[in-house]
Amino acid sequence: MTVMSHISVQHPASTTRGDHVARFLRNYYIYFVLVAVVVVLSVANLDRFDLFERGNFLNPSNIINILRVSAPLLTLAGAFTLLMVSGYIDLSVGSAMSLSAVVYALLAINGVPFLAAFGITILVGVGLGAINGFLVARLKITPVIATLITLSLYKGVALLLVQDGVSAIKSGGGLSMPGWFNSYGREGVLVGLPMAFWVAVLVTIVLVIAQDRTLLGKYAAATGGNPTAAKLSGINTTRIVFLLYVIVGVSAALAGIARSSFMSLGDPLSGDGMELSAILVVLLGGTAFSGGEGRVLRSFVGALIIMALTVGMLTLVPAYYQTLVLGSALLAAAASNHLISRKEKAS
Amino acid sequence: MSDETFITLLVASVAVGLFVVASVSVPNFFQPLTMLNLVTNNWAVISLGVGVTFLLVSGNFDLSVGGVVALSGVLAVWFAQSPDGANPLSTGLGFPTWLAIVCALGGALAIGGLNAFFVVRLSVPSIIVTLGTMMVARGIAQVITQGSQRNTNLPDDFGMLGNLTMFGTSVKLPVVLMVILVVVAVFIEKKTVFGRLTYWAGENAVAARLSGIDTAKHVTYLYLFSAAIAGTVGILLASEFKSGFSNRGTLMEFDALVIALLGGVAIAGGFGSVVGMFFGALILAVVTSAATGMILSPDWQFILKAIAVFLAITTQTWALAWRHR
Repeated sequence: MTVMSHISVQHPASTTRGDHVARFLRNYYIYFVLVAVVVVLSVANLDRFDLFERGNFLNPSNIINILRVSAPLLTLAGAFTLLMVSGYIDLSVGSAMSLSAVVYALLAINGVPFLAAFGITILVGVGLGAINGFLVARLKITPVIATLITLSLYKGVALLLVQDGVSAIKSGGGLSMPGWFNSYGREGVLVGLPMAFWVAVLVTIVLVIAQDRTLLGKYAAATGGNPTAAKLSGINTTRIVFLLYVIVGVSAALAGIARSSFMSLGDPLSGDGMELSAILVVLLGGTAFSGGEGRVLRSFVGALIIMALTVGMLTLVPAYYQTLVLGSALLAAAASNHLISRKEKAS
Repeated sequence: MSDETFITLLVASVAVGLFVVASVSVPNFFQPLTMLNLVTNNWAVISLGVGVTFLLVSGNFDLSVGGVVALSGVLAVWFAQSPDGANPLSTGLGFPTWLAIVCALGGALAIGGLNAFFVVRLSVPSIIVTLGTMMVARGIAQVITQGSQRNTNLPDDFGMLGNLTMFGTSVKLPVVLMVILVVVAVFIEKKTVFGRLTYWAGENAVAARLSGIDTAKHVTYLYLFSAAIAGTVGILLASEFKSGFSNRGTLMEFDALVIALLGGVAIAGGFGSVVGMFFGALILAVVTSAATGMILSPDWQFILKAIAVFLAITTQTWALAWRHR
């Protein structure tokens, strides 16, 4: 799997019809999966065939609700894709998200205005990402270990920021959350969707452009495809990796703000398991875990699928089926990625 | 002295050093009971650490052990519960206890087999596979317990194994089993062909395969071995508390990984030892119990764990570099 095959748009003229079909499937299968999930969930919920009536999956308020809940994962998907494309991983995103949520709620409850609280939390995200970047890129600690260390560290700090005997930062004890606090994650500003969702879309657009039109995207793919070759061709892989961790940190902060605003509290455990969801959507989007390949937009769609599945499933089966379904989806995504990449290598 | 002995000695002296510091600075720390508790309170994680260490040495992760602990415990309880319960959560299959245990172990081995299939046959990275199987195992446990636990309508002998005290002391059977497991594992690791092949497979998988070692079979055995340990731990815990709890063992997979890393096991494979892992567990135990003794909030344990692993990794890298300067 070379870097060139990923970057170049032209394909050799000798490709057969079968190759085109395979490539088409690989590029667009994620959209078919999304449609299939939506159709299955809609039909499964039907008593009658009035698709758009209240109580059915395709009911606009249900769609809006799903997209609102999805904002944190949608925000994370793009940055996480770029990081995995470069062959690295961040297990601390969940903890970074929790810590940002707690910081943001703490600032808001102590009277800091919206924009300042927002800005400071983003800066915290930059810092958290920079710590990861420093451990991995500078100190050369294996990504899995380095981010396992920070997973524990950020979680510990988040728990310490919330005083003993209270489960989360919330109104009470003389302090109360300002009125604007949950409008960011809940109040519709455009077609009924809140700011948090549009920020996720904006982040994704920026990262799609970064991947397709800037050196960052090319260098990330080169680093993941063949680190030695990338270094030898003069790419400063250390800086690229550091930068990617910072971008993931900022996305985690934005995700934390979205979650915190949606729930109206700063819960130090709110991001738990987010690293699993992030890995899941990125793999679902067809990113190769060995690095070098993957598209930001496809992971975004992957996140939509997972959220539709988790929320939609609640109407079909009890909530305790969720872990099993998500785990199976993760294994299925990993296996299908493998089969696809093996077929490409063979051809 | 090999690098491995060097690192193991380093880890052991850090453990002893920390213990001395804790004994001096923490009131009531230097007591026989405290020392005993450092080991007995951690029997589950140390047992899991054995399987995880072997796999890490062979170059593979196993993050599914926490999920398997939950799954096998829940399965054992479900199989053993009598079939005439008043509600779904107190109604089981009514197997005799021994059969329930055997079947629960079978469930654990199935997860190990799944790990091996994805890692060996499909060559999917082990970290992703075992994160997936962790969720699948815990997911099945959650479905069987409807997201909570089963603890009623169990035969009396179900609670025996986990609570059996040994040699007239307060030490329970699981602790003794853990000690036996560690001793046997050290023997396998140091003295048997199987143990040495594990290092070869982790050091250089391609060279190992080219020299005629069936690494696929080897790694399969290791995953089954690890799942069997995790399954046993799950059953013993279920027996100790007489309940099958779907959230039992949460984060145990990370603790098992952490103690292996503290003990000098290299994540890239080919390096590390069970003895090192054992001392790694002692380091973690001393640090966390000393923190509790100094009345730090329990939230500190996450930060202390992070600092301990960071220091362990950097010190070991630095010590090896210094040795080879």
